[in-house]
Amino acid sequence: MNTPIKESWLHKVNPALKLLILAILFVFAVTIHQLNVMIPFTLTVSILFFLCTGQPYRNLFLILIPFFLVFFSTSLSMILFGKGDTTLFKWGIIHVTEESLYRGVHLGFRALVFALMGITFVLTTKPVKLFYSLMQQLKLQPKYAYSFMAAIRLIPIMFEEFKTIRDAQKVRGLHSEKGVWSKLKRIKALPIPLLSQSIRRAFRIAVAMEAKRFNSLQERTFYYQVGFSTYDLLFISYIVSSIGLSYWLASEFPLFPVTDVRY
Amino acid sequence: MSKGLKLTDILVTIVISVGFGILYKIWGPLYYAVKPLGIHMDQLIYGMWFMTATVAFLIIRKPGVAFLAEVAASSGEFLMGSEFGLEVLFYGIIQGLFAELLLMAFRYKRYDLLVVSVAGLSSCLGSLLLDFYKGYIGDLSTWNLILYVAFRFIGTILFTGVLAISIVNSLEATGVTNLVRSSSKKDFDTLNQ
Repeated sequence: MNTPIKESWLHKVNPALKLLILAILFVFAVTIHQLNVMIPFTLTVSILFFLCTGQPYRNLFLILIPFFLVFFSTSLSMILFGKGDTTLFKWGIIHVTEESLYRGVHLGFRALVFALMGITFVLTTKPVKLFYSLMQQLKLQPKYAYSFMAAIRLIPIMFEEFKTIRDAQKVRGLHSEKGVWSKLKRIKALPIPLLSQSIRRAFRIAVAMEAKRFNSLQERTFYYQVGFSTYDLLFISYIVSSIGLSYWLASEFPLFPVTDVRY
Repeated sequence: MSKGLKLTDILVTIVISVGFGILYKIWGPLYYAVKPLGIHMDQLIYGMWFMTATVAFLIIRKPGVAFLAEVAASSGEFLMGSEFGLEVLFYGIIQGLFAELLLMAFRYKRYDLLVVSVAGLSSCLGSLLLDFYKGYIGDLSTWNLILYVAFRFIGTILFTGVLAISIVNSLEATGVTNLVRSSSKKDFDTLNQ
């Protein structure tokens, strides 16, 4: 995922701060109950996604495909089965009302904005810098941070092992069998070897890390120093003004006549 | 015995969890592909997301492991660019906390199907709590809401209970669990003979 083509100012924002602000935004977004606020807010977040992640547009659109699936499937069950009074459509157990329609669309936008905030963070933050920042700014214990970084390094080895097992299955002719059962049998043979090998490897690495005093609670020095810069201020002011703008737009140019989507 | 988790426990827990995180990244699209069926069939496979906590706890059997595992798995899923975005982190923290509290109530002394299933149900309750605020599930028609909750409970017991126990039993047969579990009284007795 992480192939930044060109770095923008968003890449230079302090990672721990960025995570904290997004966490606050998550809580804030859950308290938005007005569709008229939700739509402009989603737009301001998507500006960051389109202009500041530094990815080519082709990649961005590929990323968006599953997000739209999320949008539709999240809104659909509320639209079809939600509570409401003004009936628009009724067929069997399906009961679409005006209220449930707006609420469903609102939930879809909510899911979309969470997805956009998450992917924007991931595309603009290097995991290593994030964990260094968490250790330096939020005082996360080094044993947790370094364990995480080691575990991330182990992911490619896990994939390699997954391929090895699949190749072994092919050699033994398991892939020529058709049907759901043989597919299940192939999947069933995966978790135990993958897990047991990972645990063995993790154990060996942990012993080595303990020998190198990664366990110690004493003050450490860091190879990377992650600090604050004016980009942090820029990020905070962008977020604050986008929230302000959303509320202003909602009161001046409401798109829909509903105010609160809750029943 | 020093207090808290050792680096070995932490690293093994996180590695298991990151493995689950990868699985969850695949599970997300599957969940959303099943979802449009409408009668909440998707909730039957929701239990997978509570499984890391119980599997890690059953392997390492120490306080704090369930919470760490659930948080680590959700961070892993998040950092791989999950479709759910930031909400996975919040769900992970709440689910881990709820599972941990339940295991604590049993003083981390029991490792059987009943306890891990109940721990899973506790996580499930946590996730429903968040759904209530985030997904307005209280505004679904009553019959639909009951179906939603019931399917999620059933899925939870299947994944976090039955499947987790069977995976860990197979892992015990491979012998790797002996690496990471603290030595029991039985081990000392064998040494004393």
